[in-house]
Amino acid sequence: MASAAQSNSDRSTLLVHAYIDGELDPVNAIAVGQQIATDPALAAESARVEALRRALREKLPATELPPGLEARVRAAVGIGQTSSTPSWRAMAASIALAMVVSSSATWLVTRTPTSDDMLEPVVAGHLRALMAPQPIDVASGDGHVVKPWFNGRIPQAPRVVDLSQAGFKLVGGRVDVVGRAGVPTLVYQIRQHLISVTAIPDAADASMNQTATAVRGYNVVQWNAGGVSYVAVSDVNAADLAKFARAFRDAR
Amino acid sequence: MPDDDDKTLFAAVVMPYLGDAYALARWMTGTRTDAEDVVQEASLRAFRAIRRYAGGNARAWVLTIVRNTALTWMAKSRPVALVVVDDLAAVERRQVQLGNTDDWNCVADPETEVIAKADAARLETAIASLPSPFRETLVLRDLQGLDYREISQVTDVPIGTVMSRLARARQRLVETVRGNE
Repeated sequence: MASAAQSNSDRSTLLVHAYIDGELDPVNAIAVGQQIATDPALAAESARVEALRRALREKLPATELPPGLEARVRAAVGIGQTSSTPSWRAMAASIALAMVVSSSATWLVTRTPTSDDMLEPVVAGHLRALMAPQPIDVASGDGHVVKPWFNGRIPQAPRVVDLSQAGFKLVGGRVDVVGRAGVPTLVYQIRQHLISVTAIPDAADASMNQTATAVRGYNVVQWNAGGVSYVAVSDVNAADLAKFARAFRDAR
Repeated sequence: MPDDDDKTLFAAVVMPYLGDAYALARWMTGTRTDAEDVVQEASLRAFRAIRRYAGGNARAWVLTIVRNTALTWMAKSRPVALVVVDDLAAVERRQVQLGNTDDWNCVADPETEVIAKADAARLETAIASLPSPFRETLVLRDLQGLDYREISQVTDVPIGTVMSRLARARQRLVETVRGNE
């Protein structure tokens, strides 16, 4: 018996680490999130790991490449500073890589969808996600995990903010399709309700104020900030959704 | 015979990750000069194997070669620095668990403060003192941001082992940082 309890405790501990690393599927992520909330030992482990990861991220300097090493490597394999005429094979590899590497630099230039074009697919994305076994593709309550996950999947990772003080818990993110472009969607939770907030590149109206509508029975709030259109969709009541939108806009 | 295609492919696949390669080699070998030697050796290996790069995750591919080069290099030059597999199994059997010391369960706030106050030198020393399988797992995850599947590929162990090594590495790091307080 004691060893069974022991191995359960081991397993819970590993799951706390995996939860913080955003490695759990959404169902397990929600279960482990609840365990952490109710078990002081797991909460303490979670706090230690979070504190350690924060310290490592903020305190350790990035390792600098020693001067001359890159040149020595180039010389060793016989390539100069600029490579020779690329073949299609190498070109394909470098383009694929460049897309991954530079993915956080710019929004993909696409036709700016109008407001109506936009709402329908965003609500459809929310609905589809609710029906799917996994409402999110990356499950984590840590913005530092969710944001990098988008890199390489879409042109720009969205702004990820911590709204737990306001009662909205980050549970993860996914990529939705609006028009022909992949756009980032963050998923927050309040009580038993999920809120999807989708960030769509949109230069048309840089600072539209918060407007609320309902689409197919779901409450929708949209606003623009910093050249990006945000659309929040949820079955939560309109007042809470408006409060979410304000908290998201005001968060730093 | 290497041709221009190989060179261009190498420039596209390997060169962007030279910084990651050097950082991993630095943490694995512990010194700058050793790390430089490992990166140069690994670059040559990668160049010779560039046609076997089958697309996909270039960073994980490069780091796998760097890690294997570092292990070979350390086995040759400093055999004592390596934990042999039998020892490691014993280390891993040690419980990855909560509540095995009296104060491990205590309220989180004071100890997270201790962790938050740790400076770079203390953290670096603590990481350096980890057994190498724990250290490489921690470095790949918490410093280089690889996900579990990538770490499993680079270190050639199942994901379950990645998980237990990572948890143990973090717990040891926390213990070391708190112990120094």
